[in-house]
Amino acid sequence: MSELMIEATDVSKKFGDVHALDGVSVTAKRGSVLGLLGHNGAGKTTLINILTTMLPPSGGSAKIAGFDVVRQGHEVRSRIGLTGQFAAVDEQLSGHDNLVLIARLLGASRNQAHQRADDLLEQFDLTEAAKRNAKTYSGGMRRRLDLAASLVGRPEVLFLDEPTTGLDPASRLAMWEIVEKLAADGTTVLLTTQYLDEADRLADTITVLSKGKVVASGTSAELKAQVGQRTVTVTLDSASDVDIAMKAVNAVGLHPVVEGLTLTTPVSASRDLATVVRALDDNGLEAHEIGLKEPTLDDVYLTLAAN
Amino acid sequence: MATLTWHGSSYPTQVLVLTGRSLRALLRTPALVFFSVLQPLIMLTLFSQIFSSITSTANFPPGMTYINYLLPAILVNTAMQSSLASGIGLVQDMSNGVLARFRSLPIRPSTVLLARNLSDAVRTAFQLVLMIAFGVLVFGFRPDGGMVGTLAALGLALVVGWALSWVFIAIAAWVRKAELMQTVGFLAMFPLMFASSAFVPVGGLPGWLQAIAKVNPLTYAVDAARSLALAHPVTGVVGALATSGAIAAVGAFFAVRGFRRPLSL
Repeated sequence: MSELMIEATDVSKKFGDVHALDGVSVTAKRGSVLGLLGHNGAGKTTLINILTTMLPPSGGSAKIAGFDVVRQGHEVRSRIGLTGQFAAVDEQLSGHDNLVLIARLLGASRNQAHQRADDLLEQFDLTEAAKRNAKTYSGGMRRRLDLAASLVGRPEVLFLDEPTTGLDPASRLAMWEIVEKLAADGTTVLLTTQYLDEADRLADTITVLSKGKVVASGTSAELKAQVGQRTVTVTLDSASDVDIAMKAVNAVGLHPVVEGLTLTTPVSASRDLATVVRALDDNGLEAHEIGLKEPTLDDVYLTLAAN
Repeated sequence: MATLTWHGSSYPTQVLVLTGRSLRALLRTPALVFFSVLQPLIMLTLFSQIFSSITSTANFPPGMTYINYLLPAILVNTAMQSSLASGIGLVQDMSNGVLARFRSLPIRPSTVLLARNLSDAVRTAFQLVLMIAFGVLVFGFRPDGGMVGTLAALGLALVVGWALSWVFIAIAAWVRKAELMQTVGFLAMFPLMFASSAFVPVGGLPGWLQAIAKVNPLTYAVDAARSLALAHPVTGVVGALATSGAIAAVGAFFAVRGFRRPLSL
């Protein structure tokens, strides 16, 4: 089961003079989750549009489940599901009818279509709203209906374009669990995100895009080692406390930088946070504020740019 | 892996399912249906009252009531307005994301256009039947062609509307802006409607308008519908049907080409 389900080779896309994508290559094995990380305008959506046959590439080639996205579009489309940034549901139809419509278009019989719609509505906690017009749905419900719509055909490859942007924390967590379950069941997932923690949690491999180019790729651990580190920040009450704290933290082998009343030190493991706290405590210092900061996408970019 | 997989339905099923979808959406928004019949109804009511004195003028066919003269024109006109709505409906589908979903499915893009065209033809037929019903029950429409002639006129109006609907679907597939289409469509149709035989006999128009009316295709469509409803010697029906067929073919060709272009541009 190590066949490549997503295979993009040197894909480019030009819009006039603008290189939206410039020689991008990515791969994903069956059942894996590929995270595409990048800011707005990095080219994430353009790559998804090419891989889902919505846009022809200007150069390079791409295969989904072994089928060429340009020459075998129909084969590709019958094996993929797509959830874009904006919910693609028919607002004038009920949630149930939306899903039946997709199932019928995919070739399900009337009975199969209703069955599949009911199953998905239940799975996505939409049974109670099933008969209501999608127009009346909340943002989170619309997203769930949209995702359900992309799963009607049990796609082998699922594309999720920023699936959690704009969702509240609970809905976000629910979305993460759904993606994890799909991957566990053998669905190959490509998801784009602007959040490192999301890619970190869900993706087996992460590709970082910037201005249409791949600037880094690897597993989450590889990327972090290459990129950013966590930092501990300690804010103290007085300049004299800062001096003592500097000596104490230096003494335990960490090398903080001072800015005003705040010490910032890169750490490699979360137990280093405990080390810092203990060093302060041993010297009778009480921190005004103390925190552990995860590397952000900005850190990734800054580091990559610096290299 | 999944026990059953679906890899796309047949072409006729796609068209049928998508047509059903549009009709269902229409049924679920009664306000839309209401307003789509309100406009032609207002026109029927106002024109039948305002222009009724025209029957006493020299150019008007003697012995004919104005409602008998007017209603076939209202049918053609309603079908024409409805065809513009067809194009605007497609633009709205494009902008609200539903078409993006359809595009990611293993279905042929042309089925989406065909379904839009067919569902709008059904809606137009409903509007036309309602206009005839009002004409008969409220305004005393009693055409010499009887039921058969009236239905034939309805059929002709429907074919004209169906053909024009392809034109507006084609424009929609290329232009993709609802407001622009609404404005330009109205500006194009409004003068066409009056510079024709629709509301007054061409002979009663000033010379320059007569010249326009004589080359205005709407004149021929209205005359053909009128001849069917009123059991006049049938003139131009074959021509109207053939012209409609040609317009539909050209429209459909450009519609499919325009619709093939990516959505996100």
